[in-house]
Amino acid sequence: MAVDTHCPYCALQCAMRLAPKEAAPATAKPNHDDGSAQLPADGTQLEAAGRDFPTNRGGLCRKGWTSPALLDSPERLTEPLLRDGDGSFRPIDWEEALDLAAEAIRSSRSLHGPDSVGVFGSGGLTNEKAYQLGKFARLAVGTSRIDYNGRFCMSSAAAAGNRAFGMDRGLPFPLADLDQAHTVLLLGSNVADTMPPFVQHLQGARAAGGLIVVDPRRTATAALTEAGAGLHLQPTPATDLALLLGIAHVVVHEGLADQSFIRDRTTGFEALLRSLNHWWPARVQAVTGVPAELIRETAHRLASAARPDAAGQATGGTYILTGRGVEQHVDGTDTTTAAINLSLLLGLPGSSHGGYGTLTGQGNGQGAREHGQKADQLPGYRKITDPAAREHVAGVWGVRPEQIPGPGVPAVEMLMGLGRPGGVRCLLVHGSNVAVSAPDAGAVIRGLRNLDFLMVSDFFLSETAAEADLVLPVLQWAEEEGTMTNLEGRVLRRRRSIDPPAGARSELWIMTELARRLNAPSSFSADAATVFEELRQASAGGPADYSGISYDMLDAGAEAYWPYPTGSAGTPRLFLDRFAHDDGRARLVTVSPTAPAEALNGPGSLTLVTGRLLEHYQSGAQTRRVTELAAAQPEARLQLHPVTAQGLGVVDGDLMEVSGDRGSVRVRADVTIGIRPDTVFLPFHFPEEQSANILTSAATDPISGMPEFKSTAVRVRVLAKAGAL
Amino acid sequence: MSGQKFEEIVERVVIVGFGPVAARLVDEILPAVREGRLDLTVIGAEGVAAYNRVLVADVGTGRTTGEAIGLADAAQLRGDGATVLLGRTVRRIDRARRTVLLDDGTQEPFDRLVLATGAQSVVPTLAGLNPDPAALHLLPPGVTALRDLEDAAKLRAVVGSGGRIVVLGGGILGIEAALAAVEEGADVTVVHHGPHPLGRNLDPGGGRMLAAALHASEIGLASDVRSTAVAFRPRVGGRHQFRALVLEDGTELPGDLLLLSCGVRARTELAAGCGLGVDKGILVNHRLEADVEGRVFAVGDCAQVACGDGGCTGCSGSSAGPPGLIGPGWRQAEYVARRLLELAPRRQVAVVSGTTAQTQAAPLAPERPGVMLLKARGLDLASAGNISAELWDAWRQERDSGGSPPGCPPIQVAQWADPEHGRYAKMVTRAGVLEGLVCVGMPRTAAELVLLYERGAELPADRTALFRLDSVEQQDDGPAPADPDSTLCRCSGATLGGVENAIAVGCSSVEEVSACTRAGTGCGGCKSRIGELIEAYASVAVRAVPQ
Repeated sequence: MAVDTHCPYCALQCAMRLAPKEAAPATAKPNHDDGSAQLPADGTQLEAAGRDFPTNRGGLCRKGWTSPALLDSPERLTEPLLRDGDGSFRPIDWEEALDLAAEAIRSSRSLHGPDSVGVFGSGGLTNEKAYQLGKFARLAVGTSRIDYNGRFCMSSAAAAGNRAFGMDRGLPFPLADLDQAHTVLLLGSNVADTMPPFVQHLQGARAAGGLIVVDPRRTATAALTEAGAGLHLQPTPATDLALLLGIAHVVVHEGLADQSFIRDRTTGFEALLRSLNHWWPARVQAVTGVPAELIRETAHRLASAARPDAAGQATGGTYILTGRGVEQHVDGTDTTTAAINLSLLLGLPGSSHGGYGTLTGQGNGQGAREHGQKADQLPGYRKITDPAAREHVAGVWGVRPEQIPGPGVPAVEMLMGLGRPGGVRCLLVHGSNVAVSAPDAGAVIRGLRNLDFLMVSDFFLSETAAEADLVLPVLQWAEEEGTMTNLEGRVLRRRRSIDPPAGARSELWIMTELARRLNAPSSFSADAATVFEELRQASAGGPADYSGISYDMLDAGAEAYWPYPTGSAGTPRLFLDRFAHDDGRARLVTVSPTAPAEALNGPGSLTLVTGRLLEHYQSGAQTRRVTELAAAQPEARLQLHPVTAQGLGVVDGDLMEVSGDRGSVRVRADVTIGIRPDTVFLPFHFPEEQSANILTSAATDPISGMPEFKSTAVRVRVLAKAGAL
Repeated sequence: MSGQKFEEIVERVVIVGFGPVAARLVDEILPAVREGRLDLTVIGAEGVAAYNRVLVADVGTGRTTGEAIGLADAAQLRGDGATVLLGRTVRRIDRARRTVLLDDGTQEPFDRLVLATGAQSVVPTLAGLNPDPAALHLLPPGVTALRDLEDAAKLRAVVGSGGRIVVLGGGILGIEAALAAVEEGADVTVVHHGPHPLGRNLDPGGGRMLAAALHASEIGLASDVRSTAVAFRPRVGGRHQFRALVLEDGTELPGDLLLLSCGVRARTELAAGCGLGVDKGILVNHRLEADVEGRVFAVGDCAQVACGDGGCTGCSGSSAGPPGLIGPGWRQAEYVARRLLELAPRRQVAVVSGTTAQTQAAPLAPERPGVMLLKARGLDLASAGNISAELWDAWRQERDSGGSPPGCPPIQVAQWADPEHGRYAKMVTRAGVLEGLVCVGMPRTAAELVLLYERGAELPADRTALFRLDSVEQQDDGPAPADPDSTLCRCSGATLGGVENAIAVGCSSVEEVSACTRAGTGCGGCKSRIGELIEAYASVAVRAVPQ
């Protein structure tokens, strides 16, 4: 039986059909006896195929195609594992495992207070799991210490969106709107590797010569600007904010701003203008390395597509999109704000001819930031400090508002305090591999080892699970029901296609069982549909209102964009009439560059940026276990420019040591002209001595708590020459 | 607790001058003003609050407006508790009584005084012009400097009517104004000393490139000439109107406007009048203090950092006087702001009798010789540092004196020149580190060189890597690889060989190839390539069919 669902990986949530292999339509498969095997050799029972859908239009990337390989991976966990006295794991039954976990939580709570128990969630969890995890933490455990790995991805863009528009939905318009655009400015986003089917939506802008990519690397996405398709701006790392101020400077001083939009729909223009006067193009060039003329050309290009042409014809529109490259900085919120300001000066948001959006990363990076697994938040994207919000949610939960703890601490602060006085001593991790994905991963691993008790729910023995006292085997995407909210704010159904292996359990069931053992108030359910019904009520009236959405509607193919209050038809496009602030106006917030988290560009110092490869997803816990993907990208390699390599005596393939203030890694060199000479790049999918996050810093954005992943001072030296390896 | 008393202290800060540097200083200390920890008075001679002087030429050529280039809002500052006095000048500073005396006879007391009086345009010695700096505002009709918004308005009138402008002086402001004015439709001639404009910032090679670029922009260039007088057109009942600039040889260059771009001079009169040290600017130490008590600071275009220690390397770069660049001025403003905030009390503080709570502040880091980036559309020009060294200097030194002294590696020069296409770059290095650069018509190279110069980073041994940044090869990939193992479809990982194989076994459309190999199923970028491969296979197959 073929089942329609969506890909397990990124926020594009490509539509796919999972079908038993033998039932798949027989196609004339080429003979692969020549060794150029294209299809996975894994003995997977299911086969994935792309399905027509507005976002992926039938496309899948290599990760999606091979995703069923994990369903019957030999490394799959199928029974709870308890760490023994000798450090090894031994299988135990579920009753014992749950009793142990409940006892550990109870004991930590009574000895050290409820905030000594931490819950760490994920942007990979379904809406139902994210919602119930937040409720579980606050009512069953009674802790304020809940946060999630979305803090590493979306928090700066979310903070900036909330500040400017009064609401944060990654793309406040359907993705297919981009097709008409003549100009798309992509800031720090490598979609050609991270979500390849997305690139189809850039074709219109490329054909019009208007794809503008800002990246210190000549990524696969930046290469899409070649041959007259657009511009590539290659600033030195940590200078994106100045670059955006320079573009905005040209907009306001060369008559490109949309004055009536600014007058009617924004506040703060006068102060913003004064701040932009500090950043004329020549000064911006001296800071960023982007030629002044290219800054001017960018501004004019953005404005020209945002206006009707001389004949009054719409010219396709302009979209400004940000990604992690500009957001994952200590000034990420302000940098994103500068991108939003630019879009507002051009009159794009809430218009028919353009917009601003952030490209959400994780599969449910959107939904998971709306329903209460964030430290400062309650379901429906409500503020946990808002008395009315607390009252509403308490009403749905059948508890008193004061039974809901107050705001907790953001992810990095929680992780850096593990096992320390006043910090978390008992940690529950769901769908996250912080030992690889968190900044200053060495310190995080030391923190995990300092805990009194660590429980990890995962389907593989990830690097984080390997540190656990108790590992609980859970379900994979094709084995569970639920909903995901994609990068457009569209709610999608994830459907069960296959029975899980005996011994694996859903996290909803685990929470329910633990809640019962902890005598939690309210009710918990192992059934996704039941949890979604409650989520609808809890979100009703909040910014991310799901109350009008049902599984039946979604199963019938409804295009459900939140906010979707009961009785409405949802909201494909936000802000058309007003922004979400009380006065209906967007805020132009004045921002200016600050010093980077650590001194960059000193003698002998290179600036490390981190990111993703096409073949791998996040910490690699899944994709490193797919034979085809692991074979294509078996290891982390350090990208560096030939002139940098020459200065260091490095040739392609040499074993390098990359070291910084927090530690060092050992990787082989990938010498390429696709990167600035002052910059080196590492993918962050790999563990242990290749773990990029051993090097990154736990310094965070003061507004969002977003860590600084994208500018780390490192030194590089050769350990062994390629020929000697 | 004896010897201590608690009292409410509010430090009174007076800033004289309200240009861009003062505005930055005000921005930085404003939070303390709002909290009531600092009492701030700003006194500006112009009728408007600070604006960005760098953009005055853009106002003058109609590219932006005076209102749009503001850096401060007087009403908002007043709302925050600051006293903002505009259109007012300071007549005298009384350091002993710690007051400044204003033009209307009122006095403003201070605990700390910051002089940000800036600079004023130099009036050249020409028959017909009053050289007295105090008479700058009395220049005859049709003659103006380009320093403030009033000057800009005069330029704007002539540019707007497509008039003729004579720019006197080959400095950066004059060249920028000339380029902008000619682009906006004015007729412009630049008159300057020396063989090429920007004589202080460009070497002969760069200068020739600039001259050629100005010529191409249809700017008239009168090089290496001296002017002696201004000729006027008499006007009945009014002041005589500028008619022509008269050169040494008697030639007259007629015009509707004479734009003076002959440099600036620091405004030091107030400082000199109260006994502070003055040279080319108000003399300050590395903590920007103009007096020994650390009560009076000077920042920006009026300040000259000179600590008096002859061996001090930090001062050597500024021995020529204030750098006249906004970047160093803003860094000075930030530094003094930090000092003032340190000195400001936190609400109530313990005052220890008999001692001063003042600690010796860390000095401001010395500036590298400034970077000059020409602000003009369509002409990219950068220069910085020592540009006088020429290509074979090190070689000559080696030959003549048998090498450089130990511990002091020689200056080296690497150069690229392509006059036909308007490209020129020169890197002056010592031990691989840039000490100077000139770059014309190579924007990416210029941008990278300036970053490397500012960082003091060592250049790559392969200098051509820097010369090639603007080349075509950097901006386009070559032809697609033909290796069967090479990836044809990045998204799916399908190889060229795999796709060719699929076509060979019978796939005859892109869709069929995609179904077989997954190629083309991600971003779709390789679909055209797959189509080409199918066509190529078909044409080979056709040819292979026997007749």
